[in-house]
Amino acid sequence: MTFLSFKNKNQGKIQSSNLRKAKLCVCGAFLVLSFVTIGYRSVTLATPVKNGNNLTVTTKNNQLLIKQRKTNRGNIFDRNNNLFATTINVSSLSINPYEVLNTDETISKLKVIFPSIDKKILLKKLNSKKNHVNLIREITPKEYIAILDLGVEGIKVESVNKRIYPNNSLASHVLGNTDIDGIGIAGIEKSFDTTLQMGNDVTLSIHGGIQHILKTTLLKQINKFEAEGGAGIIMDAKTGEIYALASLPDYNANNYKNITDDKLFNRATKGIYELGSTLKLITAAVALESGLFKENEVFDVSKPLKISSRTIKDFHPLNYAINIPEIIVHSSNIGSAKIAEKLGSSIQLKYLKSLGLMDRLSLEIPETGSPLVRTDAKLLTTMTISYGHGIAITPVHLTSTTATIVNGGIRINPTLLIPTSINNNKRIFSKQTSMKMKSIMRLVVSNKYGTAKQAEALGYLVGGKTGTAEKVSKSGGYLKKQNIVAFTAGFPMNDPRFVITVMIDNPKGQKSSSWYRTAGWIAAPVVSEIVTRIAPILGIKPEMNESVVLTKSLLKYKIRGAEL
Amino acid sequence: MIRYPSFLFVFFIIFVAISLYQIKHSISKKEMEFAKINKDIIQTKSNLHILKAELSYLKRPDRIERIALTKLKMRPVLPIDIWSLEDLVSSKVSKHKEGL
Repeated sequence: MTFLSFKNKNQGKIQSSNLRKAKLCVCGAFLVLSFVTIGYRSVTLATPVKNGNNLTVTTKNNQLLIKQRKTNRGNIFDRNNNLFATTINVSSLSINPYEVLNTDETISKLKVIFPSIDKKILLKKLNSKKNHVNLIREITPKEYIAILDLGVEGIKVESVNKRIYPNNSLASHVLGNTDIDGIGIAGIEKSFDTTLQMGNDVTLSIHGGIQHILKTTLLKQINKFEAEGGAGIIMDAKTGEIYALASLPDYNANNYKNITDDKLFNRATKGIYELGSTLKLITAAVALESGLFKENEVFDVSKPLKISSRTIKDFHPLNYAINIPEIIVHSSNIGSAKIAEKLGSSIQLKYLKSLGLMDRLSLEIPETGSPLVRTDAKLLTTMTISYGHGIAITPVHLTSTTATIVNGGIRINPTLLIPTSINNNKRIFSKQTSMKMKSIMRLVVSNKYGTAKQAEALGYLVGGKTGTAEKVSKSGGYLKKQNIVAFTAGFPMNDPRFVITVMIDNPKGQKSSSWYRTAGWIAAPVVSEIVTRIAPILGIKPEMNESVVLTKSLLKYKIRGAEL
Repeated sequence: MIRYPSFLFVFFIIFVAISLYQIKHSISKKEMEFAKINKDIIQTKSNLHILKAELSYLKRPDRIERIALTKLKMRPVLPIDIWSLEDLVSSKVSKHKEGL
């Protein structure tokens, strides 16, 4: 019995001990679970809420809402980080017609705030079967407050993105535009649409101030000579960076949808023109490079040149034989044609190809033109191409060709962006040829027989070549009384830093130009004014003692006048 | 004997639960504040962006030129206006030599 009771006692103790253990285990497990829960919750609460550029954190009914926000389109800047294009949020007005209780009252209320809105259109929109109708794309903050004050039912004010161009018409052809949904439809906006859509910015090589100078100077001359339009390009002669590119008439980029096609057309990059004698620079450079011509070889230009049915004449006839520098300075068509005759079509076309004058312009905007070149290899074609007839190129093509000629002979590709790598382009002309061409181009401006004396800009050693060509009519053939005048130049010619091309479409002779409508009278003065104004901005020091520079870096050529 | 630790555990769990509720509550408050601050940042950024666009509009080269010409009576720089330091020194020396 005693033994049994002991046994029972002992068993009871064991049972109680097991129970205690079980209780302890349960409590321990519960405690551990609690701490795990607390720990997990603490960690989740302490984790910061993601709030990158593309996330919006908002609160609604005391609930935290994190929703994906559409990234704002990137900005476009000029080379000095001036804002050229950006996207801002504006308020847009829409309405749910089903929520409108009294249509007439709503219309009269809206008419108070927006007097210009058409009552009929408004009525049509309010009677729409849709539950969301856009009323006004953009309203001002004052109008927004007025709507709130009037308490128009069914009205919704939404925040929408709007692309704006703070500089209005400045570089509008380069910037291009976007459609109502913010998709690039022209210019840089189109070419860099993906980059900009992702919120990335684009920095252009354009210089806002220089762009303004180019535009205003060119516009002044277009108005003065009652021209149809014009184009201008200012390019770094060594890197091909375009500092300014103007096509006139231009347009206010903030008002894109109301612009006529004539204003939208980019004459600098898409328009192709016969740029006349400016192309004699290529003929001369190829002649000097080819080695087919003796130093001081002369060409008889005293009589017009008859080839097939065509007679090639000079604007300023000379009655003696002249050398290559004189052909360029006097702008002799006959001399140029004779050089081309000796060079032959294959050499001519080879150089045109290597200069990129037979290929579509390569530039970072979609509005580019493809040259038209006669390639029939006939003698007449070879001759006319030598002085810029039978070849139509864009003004930017001409600018990059001039840059190639004056920068030592390395091909220059135009760009609207700031290059990140060094130019490793192939050499087209030797340094010697480039030096000769620079010297000749300087004489076109500085010599008393030169055709571009009005391009002279005191201290800045401008050199270039004029070109006047009859306009090609749309039905074929030439318009005898309508000219395209062009001038392509570099400065300072001892070591050209910039190349400028100016083209004016169909100027009318004025008393101030002695009724002439040639490049020397119309395009050359534009370059003179531009150079004088932009050189201080670009940090180019004027060289007042020209003879020192000439002996150092340019060759001397003797140029004879009209009479020997 | 076994009851005391049990009570302690229960008390401890209640304490932890209340603490957790408090933490949750304060964190929710902080989240609201955080959301508001973020909203304010976005609004400020947007305002700043509009101000930048406005500044760019006011800095338009045509406007600056008009102000410079009409209000400040400025004119474009001419080559004869540009002097280097060397030019100034040589000019001073030559004037000195001339006894001016």
